Amino acid sequence: MTERQKKIRNFSIIAHIDHGKSTLADRIIEATHSVDEREMEEQLLDNMELERERGITIKAHAVRLEYKAADGETYIFNLIDTPGHVDFNYEVSRSLNACEGALLVVDATQGIQAQTLANAYLAADANLEIVPVINKIDLLSADVERVRADIEDVIGITAKGCPAVSAKTGLNINDVLDAIVRDIPPPSGDENAPLRCLIFDSYFNSYLGVVVFVRVIEGTLRPEDRIKMMSTGKEFDVVEVGYMKPLGLAKAEFLAAGDVGYITASIKDVADTRVGDTITTAEGGAKEPLPGFKASVPMVFAGIYPADGADYGDLRDALEKLQLNDAALHFEPETSAALGFGFRCGFLGLLHMEIIEERLEREFGLDLITTAPSVIYEIKKRDGRVVRIDNPTNFPPPDEIEVAREPIVRASIITPTEYIGGIMELCTDRRGVFHDMKYIDATRVELHYSLPLNEIIYDFFDALKSRSRGYASLDYEPEGYVDSRLVKLDILLNGDPVDALTFIVHEEKAYTRARKIVVKLKENIPRQLFEIPVQAAIGSRIIARETVKALRKDVLAKCYGGDITRKKKLLEKQKEGKKRMRRLGTVEVSPEAFMAVLKFDDE
Amino acid sequence: MFMIKRRHGKRLGIYVHVPFCASKCSYCDFYSYVPKSTRIYSAYVDALARHMASYKAACADYSPDTVYIGGGTPTVLPPEDFLRLIKAIKHNFRLQKDPEFTVEANPGTVDVATLSRYRRAGVNRLSMGLQSANKAELEALGRKHTPADFEKSFRAAREAKITNINIDLLYGIPYQTYRTFMNSLHFALRLKPEHISIYGLKIEEGTPLAASVASGAYPMPSDEMQFAMYRDAIDILAKNGYVQYEISNFARPGFECYHNIKYWRCDEYLGFGPGAHSYFNGYRFSFKRSISSYMRGVNYVSNEEMTDENEVIPLRERVGEYIMLRMRMTSGIDSREFFRLFGKDFTRTYGKKLERFVPGGYVKVNGGVYSFTPAGMFVSNYILSEVLSFNTDGTFMLD
Repeated sequence: MTERQKKIRNFSIIAHIDHGKSTLADRIIEATHSVDEREMEEQLLDNMELERERGITIKAHAVRLEYKAADGETYIFNLIDTPGHVDFNYEVSRSLNACEGALLVVDATQGIQAQTLANAYLAADANLEIVPVINKIDLLSADVERVRADIEDVIGITAKGCPAVSAKTGLNINDVLDAIVRDIPPPSGDENAPLRCLIFDSYFNSYLGVVVFVRVIEGTLRPEDRIKMMSTGKEFDVVEVGYMKPLGLAKAEFLAAGDVGYITASIKDVADTRVGDTITTAEGGAKEPLPGFKASVPMVFAGIYPADGADYGDLRDALEKLQLNDAALHFEPETSAALGFGFRCGFLGLLHMEIIEERLEREFGLDLITTAPSVIYEIKKRDGRVVRIDNPTNFPPPDEIEVAREPIVRASIITPTEYIGGIMELCTDRRGVFHDMKYIDATRVELHYSLPLNEIIYDFFDALKSRSRGYASLDYEPEGYVDSRLVKLDILLNGDPVDALTFIVHEEKAYTRARKIVVKLKENIPRQLFEIPVQAAIGSRIIARETVKALRKDVLAKCYGGDITRKKKLLEKQKEGKKRMRRLGTVEVSPEAFMAVLKFDDE
Repeated sequence: MFMIKRRHGKRLGIYVHVPFCASKCSYCDFYSYVPKSTRIYSAYVDALARHMASYKAACADYSPDTVYIGGGTPTVLPPEDFLRLIKAIKHNFRLQKDPEFTVEANPGTVDVATLSRYRRAGVNRLSMGLQSANKAELEALGRKHTPADFEKSFRAAREAKITNINIDLLYGIPYQTYRTFMNSLHFALRLKPEHISIYGLKIEEGTPLAASVASGAYPMPSDEMQFAMYRDAIDILAKNGYVQYEISNFARPGFECYHNIKYWRCDEYLGFGPGAHSYFNGYRFSFKRSISSYMRGVNYVSNEEMTDENEVIPLRERVGEYIMLRMRMTSGIDSREFFRLFGKDFTRTYGKKLERFVPGGYVKVNGGVYSFTPAGMFVSNYILSEVLSFNTDGTFMLD
């Protein structure tokens, strides 16, 4: 270990959602005097508009801070922020691999939650030193000692003397800084070995090209070095290296083993920087890439289409740009008879999907139609072939299916005991298989279930929150595939099937779901000059039907004593409403109809 | 059909708004109120006279052929003020020799003697609001008269030798059923008016009725039921000799309301009074819905004070308005006239879009003339919004 390395601390902050991770990050940045207080924006690291609005951290970010410790030495802190939602475990793991330690933030009023555990396990898997930080001790209902005991009992790490702080008020923040210096090991790695850097994040900048965030594991990297992406073999000349300071990029002469920093190399094509890849030098480079990051596996798929077909090219560009900042996003072109040209996109979960949609609409000004989400089904056909279906439209007819299989997840739900009944009912309703229930303390339990993923991706999270007044928390991980009696449900408007509305459902739930969908669709289809049957069918069997009655009256009977302008305005408003409609065959449908199919009310 | 013997000079419609009522109906969205003092009446007529005088020069080339005094309830004006108003109109405009001269009247505000004086002063047409012949429905509308009151006033008008009377009816009223609507229609028919208007009740935002309907206080007839009322009313009226000439208007031949036809034919009209609209000399403009703004504007000669909207209507707007308004009439749009007026081929542009609605039985095309069927009239907004397009600034887009 070099003297330089001894002064470096690379760490992440991990926590359950809303336990105060971003606020703690702000206080650390503030306490190291890296940013003028005047310049300190609330929650500096969450710089995406959307993140701030939703109060969650979507993307991992990194920042380099300098801290003058009590021993008189100045330490380099590389703080890597991580997201805290169940959909983003992949991003958490990606960031953790760039660190030697993690601060595990636990809310002193809520104690350990599902993602506290999930994140702690991820950190332990990455061999990180875990430093617990108990937060929100300024609140009246804080119970620091109970939370300490919980951490020791449930997670199995020592919490004696761990920092207890209020990130909001800044109370005891110095304890955290000292713990970082004292407890988190400095990085090691040979500066003279062949170069190996891990890409853990990147973003596109219109002046610099792709800015790649790396952790140097071994070797040294300088501007003008010729580098190679080990997975693709593509080579680039480094233009600039440097550090991520709180207020922007700062050039440096080199990056060496143990450093966290950025690289620019005139990389234009977004596909050339794969997050998780290893960077080495083109000549005399490393033979073996670093053990890869945990691969991002999309679990939820949906079709995304531009509301206006002319925007197809813009949608593709936008998806490419988002993919650069979000390795978990997958997409490929597809066409729908109803919606035209679009993309089948793969997401980590439903929240991830919603965030991508919102970013496409907000940051790129696109008007989109999204189809109901689906998971990947495995179908063994009678002819012996096995097909994987991520688009319900491609689900084979019943007589071709030997066995249909669907993905299930192992879900861990932590809830106060009074909501157990409602939650168990919900899980049973969603075809869950109960495994066990463990008491965390006298008032809280951890439930384990196996649940079909396609039951979770619609509105399970909302339903869970509404049945527990927001107290229950959820974490899940893939558990494999099981045989299942699945059927394809087609939706017909005016007798014509609409491919974009097709979805796969368990046989037992087909009827109730079909009813809900036709009712929702009926509400979202404006009356037209003819009667429109809205039907749901399995094969040729209609199992639900509603009717949108024909428009009979839409007339301005009186002309307001020569007030022509008023009539014109009414007509214009009507025309405006029509423009938003999507024509599916002979029927006009509001964009909300597609969303309505996604959301089922709990009851 | 609508030709009137002409004195020399361009034709023009004169509208005068009288924004006073004895009581306000629950559904009314026109500018009107119940004045606290009767002193306002003569001051208001003075203001109107002054305002009309200011148009004397601009109207030198015009010879108005219709006058329409609407409201509000014009007949709440004391007879002296009302007669002064008529005198002011005659004094300031060179009226055609025998212009159509309509006054709106509510039951209970008129008697034989007064109406006779008004007739002698020039009034030759009355428009009377019956709305319904059902007590519960009248009550829900906030109307203060009974069917019997209406009949009495109607007979008074006849006795005063008014030979051209319109009766207003409504469909879509709270509590209304197919039967009560038909009863009201037959009630009107028995009185043998020359003209009948049947309007759909529009629940206007901000009216007391809108609040009651929103609160679910009233059973309302369904759209399907309203269509049945409208469709069958057209038949019954036809059998009784009333020809439909516009979405909501029916008349014995020769008794169509020429003043209202001006609105639908994009002819010129000048409106006086707060909230009144004009289409004059290429401009559409209106005055603010405030009697105090109007009177200040007139008395201090400040157009700015009183004017609400004022826009020039360029050609493309005239095309859109022409289609929007002409299609209200059963005579529809004659593609040859369209070409004569605008130099554009209607058949291959708007006409083509209208033809899409022929198979459904909503539009008729006959020798280059496009018009709505009764079913088409009842969904005319839907069809027009398919046919017409708008620019982002809200103006019509040319096909």
